[in-house]
Amino acid sequence: MPLFLPRHPHGPAGWRCLLAAGVAVAVVGCGRSEKPRLVAEPESPAAPVMPPEPGPAAPAEATFLPPSLADLDRDAKWIDRPVKQGLAVLREQQAKEPVLASVAEALALRNDSPEANAKILSALGRLPEPGAADSSARLDRHVTGDLSSTNPILISSSAEFDILGLTGFGLFSFDRALEPFASAETVVSWQTSADGLYDRIVMRDDLVWSDGTPITAHDIAFTYRVIMDPRVPVPAVRSGTDQLKGVHAYDDHTLVFFHKEPLATNIWNINFPVLPRHIYASTWEEDPTLKDSPEHVALEEKPVCGGPYEILARKRGQEIVLRRRDNWSTFQGKVVREPPYFRDVRFRIIEDPNTALLALKSGEIDEMILQPEQWTTQTVDDGFYELNTKATAPEWVSFHFAWNIDEPFFADRRVRRAMSYAFDHDRMLEKICLGLYQPCAGNFPPGSWMAGTKPLVPYKQDLDKAETLLDEAGWSDHDNDGIRDKEIDGQLVPFEFTMLVNQQPFRIAICTLLKENLEQIGVIVNVRPVEVTALQEMMQKRTFQACLSGWGSGTDPDTSENIWKTGEMRNYSGYSNPEVDRLFAEGRRELDRSRRGEKYARIQEILYDDQPYTWLFWRNSFYGFSKSLRGYVFSPRGPFHYSPGSGSLWKPRAE
Amino acid sequence: MAAVDGFWGQAWRRYRRRPLAMAALLFVVGLAAVAVLAPAIAGTKPVVCRYKGRLYAPCLAYFDRRLEPAIFAKDKFRGSYPRNLAAKDPQSWAIWPLVFQDPYRAVRADEWPGRPENPAMDKGVPSRAHPFGTDQAGVDVFAKMVHGTTVALLVGFVSMGIAGTIGIVVGALGGYCGGWVDALTSRITEIVMCVPTLVLILAIMAIIEKPTIWHTMAIIGFTGWTGIARLTRGEFLRLKGAEYVTAARAAGAGPVRIMLRHILPNALAPILVPITFGIAAAILVESGLSFLGFGSPPPTASWGSILNGARSNLGMWWLVVFPGVAIFLTVLAYNLVGEGLQEATDPRLREARK
Repeated sequence: MPLFLPRHPHGPAGWRCLLAAGVAVAVVGCGRSEKPRLVAEPESPAAPVMPPEPGPAAPAEATFLPPSLADLDRDAKWIDRPVKQGLAVLREQQAKEPVLASVAEALALRNDSPEANAKILSALGRLPEPGAADSSARLDRHVTGDLSSTNPILISSSAEFDILGLTGFGLFSFDRALEPFASAETVVSWQTSADGLYDRIVMRDDLVWSDGTPITAHDIAFTYRVIMDPRVPVPAVRSGTDQLKGVHAYDDHTLVFFHKEPLATNIWNINFPVLPRHIYASTWEEDPTLKDSPEHVALEEKPVCGGPYEILARKRGQEIVLRRRDNWSTFQGKVVREPPYFRDVRFRIIEDPNTALLALKSGEIDEMILQPEQWTTQTVDDGFYELNTKATAPEWVSFHFAWNIDEPFFADRRVRRAMSYAFDHDRMLEKICLGLYQPCAGNFPPGSWMAGTKPLVPYKQDLDKAETLLDEAGWSDHDNDGIRDKEIDGQLVPFEFTMLVNQQPFRIAICTLLKENLEQIGVIVNVRPVEVTALQEMMQKRTFQACLSGWGSGTDPDTSENIWKTGEMRNYSGYSNPEVDRLFAEGRRELDRSRRGEKYARIQEILYDDQPYTWLFWRNSFYGFSKSLRGYVFSPRGPFHYSPGSGSLWKPRAE
Repeated sequence: MAAVDGFWGQAWRRYRRRPLAMAALLFVVGLAAVAVLAPAIAGTKPVVCRYKGRLYAPCLAYFDRRLEPAIFAKDKFRGSYPRNLAAKDPQSWAIWPLVFQDPYRAVRADEWPGRPENPAMDKGVPSRAHPFGTDQAGVDVFAKMVHGTTVALLVGFVSMGIAGTIGIVVGALGGYCGGWVDALTSRITEIVMCVPTLVLILAIMAIIEKPTIWHTMAIIGFTGWTGIARLTRGEFLRLKGAEYVTAARAAGAGPVRIMLRHILPNALAPILVPITFGIAAAILVESGLSFLGFGSPPPTASWGSILNGARSNLGMWWLVVFPGVAIFLTVLAYNLVGEGLQEATDPRLREARK
């Protein structure tokens, strides 16, 4: 199934999104479909996560004339690329993994140690033996906000990506290790030309939309045209497709993607959601908003779906119920694809995490993300373990203090380093994160291919060093009032700055710790909690001095270019280093994974020395699961947002 | 025969006869004492200390950071006194606060010789070391409560000081002058009455660069004077026709003198009542704001912000009970004082009681 990767408008393949202020925006692939989506953290309402696309996109295809297939075959040297089925890949991997505990043992366990966590994941995270899954069961998922649209190309919030993961059609996906492949459920073969300029797909001929019409290559070429039409208000999926020269269907099943440049990121650019052409071909020209005309309003309620599920019922603000499509797994009376395990998937919309926890404890929902405090103090008693268990794994979501380099305080690298040396990183991990999160020292996840082989160590608190650095940078107490200051343009400026943070006790506590630490060395911090959207706006306009925020990572390091490259939109720190700029440009064009990795590792080292951020921690996944649920397997992007992701969940047949 | 008491003397005698009102007054006085002495009751900075031959009072830093002597920053005390004092000047001595706990941070292990680190998260159940428990970050709730008293009293008195001043001036002008002045002040009063205080506070807090507790007080003050103004206007309307006022005018007294010297003292008693109730209301508003997370910036110790900490874990009952009881009692006390004042000074109520 396809997973859709939403892109940031200014990045080639947006895999990092702003977590500032509590809307955690991880780009995620949906369980059974391979395009990732954005998730909002449970503590905040699901806000649209991707900023709307500014400016019109270039009209596609208008100027592009595809060569004939014979010409292409003559010119291009085709290289076969992997075509896999997500579930089969996972099944193979699990066959090699040792079983650490029996199901009964794991269900009796309390998740209070890494060993217990490993046992729970090992026993309960398995895929079912043939026939063991209850094929008439219903899965009750938890989402934090309602959909604003059910149209595949209008997706933007986390809930929309979650739903699309189950109802949408797509050609590509990526596995637990974020390695891309074409989905065997929809694709026969995938080839890339040796020069990296073309991708050729041959689709299966046994695919139909939920209304019975065949799904063909023309649907994909049509969708590309609609996405790239500037009149259509596409919020998230256009960045990425805008890197393509064109998409052409040569017949019902043969499709070629034409790239402008041979980039390492091309695989993420050809991965977008698909519209049924027979439905929209006659309506979209009249109503390019895809939302306003009576036909489109009716389609919002009951969209024609290409994925394994279709929307059965929807109560706004309360729930969305999906029903398994029989004509997904069977074609002309024959079973052609493995049907999904659940007959129904119900998404319950609950904004408040405390209410959601009550729903989990009473068995109304089968899973939810737990907050650190919920994990440590509210899910340890019999009341919780009666119906539920919980599991955790590392996730690629990191938090940091961002320093605005344009401010007089933070222009000097020595000052930024002093900030990092002043902060009691260990205490934060132990007392505020309660030992649940991993220390973070750089922008790429440790152990990943882009992070390099030398692990970075966070700046350890060393107040003497911090004071020396501040003295060197000219910030010392000249007027004897106990507060450091420096003469700037003839004025004595005291070192007093405002730290912005969103209204969350956990994050405020981290800022308060920094305040306490800096006060010890004569620097005054005013912690100012602000509302999510206000914080984002101040960051975008760069009217802040320092702030606590975070980034959720996607699959490719290239997308973080717009965080670090000189003058880029999301370079909120105002960081500029020609070497970093050059390394990003080179990284995108380098096709060899290990040489590419070296470039990104070098970027990380430079950033570590310059400390435009003080990196804090990697936030892990923490989930509560119903004891009746099985098959949860975690990726660096959580348990659902890769392939098979949520498609690997199942419930055992009642004895 | 004893000298005949004046109006206030009589009022005080009548007030003293009401045990509830007296208890409330004592409670308020007690709170004021706690507020003023807060740094000496709970803190980690010495009340008085002798260091390198000179006397200092670092505890004043709790009132204003600038009052902390710079020598301690120069000598790299880094906010921790007990060990540094002894290590850097063996001759030094210090008088410590009654409770060695900080309202803004958790006391670290061995910061006070032999004392363990404050418990954090849900481990901070009230105990002998922490009679009111500790919050999620390990900050002692008793210390927060004591320093929160300062905030609560300040909010009440400062905001009602502002409101009282504006209300009395506007009401006196309208009531005494009459005519277009009265029409104007009455309309202004009505307009201000329509401004929703809470919404205004939220909006202004979002706009200003560095919001502090003083901004909250100012907004409550600048919007809360309407009731006082209307009462004052009524009293001035009534009294400006009184014979003694006519007499004063005949004697050549100017309008300002008549308003301040003659009418105001006689109108003051009924005006004091809404001011007392206003103090209670202001404390409630500040607590509510802090509870919602829009109050004074962290880590200011305010009763409402302690309550806010309990939202994420209701199992930590001590974060609900102690500040909740404190807010309840304080608001109740001010209301009782106001009621006592009303009954002691209003002749009509007095008549009715007889």
